[in-house]
Amino acid sequence: MLSRHAESFFWLSRNVERAETVARVLDVTNTRAMDLHAGGTWAQRSWRTALMIGTLGAAPAAALADATAANVLERCVFDRDNPSSICSSIAIARTNAIGLRAELSSEVWEHINQLYLDVQDQAGRVGERGPSRFLRIVRDRCQAIAGVSDATLPHVDGWNFMQLGRFVERASLAARILATAASFDDPWPEWQRLLEMCCASFPFARAATQLQSPPDAAAFILFNPTFPRSVNFCANQIDAALHRLSQTPERAYTDVAEKLAGRLSAAVTFADAADIITDGLHPFVRAVLTGLDALVGSIQNVYFPRVPVAVALNRSEAVAG
Amino acid sequence: MLELVQRPVVDDVFDEFFADPTTPRPNYVRLAETLGAVETETLVHGVRAINAALLRRGVTFTVYAESSGTERIFPFDPIPRIFSHREWRRISAGVEQRVRALNAFLRDVYHEGRILREGRVPRELVHSSDLFVREMVGVRVPNDVYIHVSGIDLIRDAQGTPLVLEDNVRTPSGISYVLENRDVLKRTFPRLFDGYRIEPVDDYPLRLLRTLREAAPHGTREPNVVVLTPGVYNSAYYEHTVLARTMGVPLAEGRDLIVVDNCVFLKTTGGLERVDVIYRRIDDDFMDPLYFRADSALGIIGFMNAYRAGNVGLANAIGTGIADDKALYRFVPSMIRFYLSEEPLLENVETLDCSDTVTRRHVSEHLDELVVKRTNGSGGHGMLIGPASSGAERADFARQIEAAPRSYIAQPVIQLSSHPTLIDGRLAPRRIDLRPFALYGKRIDVPPAALTRVALRNGSLVVNSSQGGGSKDTWVLAAEDDDA
Repeated sequence: MLSRHAESFFWLSRNVERAETVARVLDVTNTRAMDLHAGGTWAQRSWRTALMIGTLGAAPAAALADATAANVLERCVFDRDNPSSICSSIAIARTNAIGLRAELSSEVWEHINQLYLDVQDQAGRVGERGPSRFLRIVRDRCQAIAGVSDATLPHVDGWNFMQLGRFVERASLAARILATAASFDDPWPEWQRLLEMCCASFPFARAATQLQSPPDAAAFILFNPTFPRSVNFCANQIDAALHRLSQTPERAYTDVAEKLAGRLSAAVTFADAADIITDGLHPFVRAVLTGLDALVGSIQNVYFPRVPVAVALNRSEAVAG
Repeated sequence: MLELVQRPVVDDVFDEFFADPTTPRPNYVRLAETLGAVETETLVHGVRAINAALLRRGVTFTVYAESSGTERIFPFDPIPRIFSHREWRRISAGVEQRVRALNAFLRDVYHEGRILREGRVPRELVHSSDLFVREMVGVRVPNDVYIHVSGIDLIRDAQGTPLVLEDNVRTPSGISYVLENRDVLKRTFPRLFDGYRIEPVDDYPLRLLRTLREAAPHGTREPNVVVLTPGVYNSAYYEHTVLARTMGVPLAEGRDLIVVDNCVFLKTTGGLERVDVIYRRIDDDFMDPLYFRADSALGIIGFMNAYRAGNVGLANAIGTGIADDKALYRFVPSMIRFYLSEEPLLENVETLDCSDTVTRRHVSEHLDELVVKRTNGSGGHGMLIGPASSGAERADFARQIEAAPRSYIAQPVIQLSSHPTLIDGRLAPRRIDLRPFALYGKRIDVPPAALTRVALRNGSLVVNSSQGGGSKDTWVLAAEDDDA
């Protein structure tokens, strides 16, 4: 397929995944913050956490200092200057979808377009009933887009690039969510919140055989091989998608993207809770994020190498990440 | 219930639906019965649902004049326009004849120039045109076909005689609306189809693909076809996606293509892939920055070398614009006689050439009763409709004509035919035109898929989508249902 289309598939699904997760993070934060004193230390801290996730760590210091519910929602839902706000993500996903109109099923395209139009309509307000309803709709619709893509697109090139985008984004957001934990000494409700942000609350409760501890929770999000939002699961999916694309046999690694994916997969397959206690959570999570960055760079080099500058100027809008 | 009585606008306007104020024409009898039994509310709600669906599906065009490239739908009118099989045959034969002659003209002016030598078409008119591409002189194209896809705009005079208003032989658009309109009408108002047997339109993409494959350089076994679009900001981008998708070929932008050793390749995830035929929806000027506009980022560097070397087919050929230059329009009947030794089946609208001094004076004095068009204008822009114009506008055009006579033609105001159209919950007569499309691979194919555009503003004669136009589903009845 055209390299440009491959790249658009990648960014399309990455941004849908991002909008979904940011919506979940904000919703969890909002409901959790209701239990705490509004404006109290913990409430402010949880909004600050949400802001860090919702801006991919790019929030200015002033915004972090003034992380109220209203400010964070504004910045992470509607602010088009924040490239990872829900509105931005959906707009970027749609821009990429427009470039893919001839490649997408009408179902996928219409779901994306409708979500974009609805979010535009909402522009700047989440309604009197609070943000929950709106965030819920975004989440549902993003999941519908993923589902309709799986159900209507042939599982060949384009779909494989969507898988890459989806699981790269999911893994990196899971890592970012973990990175916001101060330490394993945080009280359990804090850890419960992080689990919920990763959709992992019930799966973890079921999987944890003993009393739930913070290192076990972190290990679940990082290492569980069957939970579809764990970093391990995502790394395996990335590895599989890359192998389908290059048609290299399993366990053989021909290009740099496959090697980096294999390395990441090994890092989260052959480690356990003891390692993150010994190494420290933050260094481990940072290594995962660095590994993902390198992986994305290599996917770009292998499948959609950058074109000369003169042409690149023209394309910056259409495929902006 | 809908009131179906004809409300004539102007005396000298042909009504497509009614033979006289109370009697529908034979094609429309059945439709009139159905409409008579439909609740107005049903129609109005249906149209609202259709317009919402079109927006959701992104069946939109971009309005350049407005800031930030507003996306608009092309409004859809649910009252179909119906052609008897016999009349359609007459029209399509005329279109075929015209396209054949225009193609022969292109072959001729880029080679021997017989028609110029014999003085049937003034040489200076051809050679002074911006649309004459010198780089194409002496270049052979596969099958000698230049105009693979064309759209011939037709109107009807007061007697109902079809006239050619203009030829579009560069990159005519609109076919996606034809496909979309039929689909949407079937889903929303299935009852309107009761008692009719209609030629399908949905094989158009297949017919187009066949045409494009025939445009491949000789000897290509399984030609690789791509659609070339200027990109997502082009007003017809939606149409490009529909055609690529339904033909099952890649939709490429210039940056997706590269010329290596005078051959064109696609940049794919598996490396470079050879391209044999390009269906381009980009103007000549933007196709190759080495030959044409150097600032074009839309085209393919080195394309013309590959094309002239015969390594890639192009639909339409470079340089077809000279055949639809409005200054040459009035010579098309002579082209038909000259190349085909036939009498034109479709007549032209009377046209005055402003480059002639005497005619120019006449035009200047009668601007209030004429339509003036720029010879290189399109989309309803660069046009003066005399009776609807102000004194200042006329004075402005008079100055422009004086300054550049070659760039203007004038025509009498033709009252386009009218057709009942749903306006504010009632049927009202609105002006329409017709754009049949012709496909030319090895032979000419005029699919029964034509676009009817309708001027939604009362009294307006301008049907262009950018100027308040809408569209209607257009039916061609199957042969045995012919009752006209």
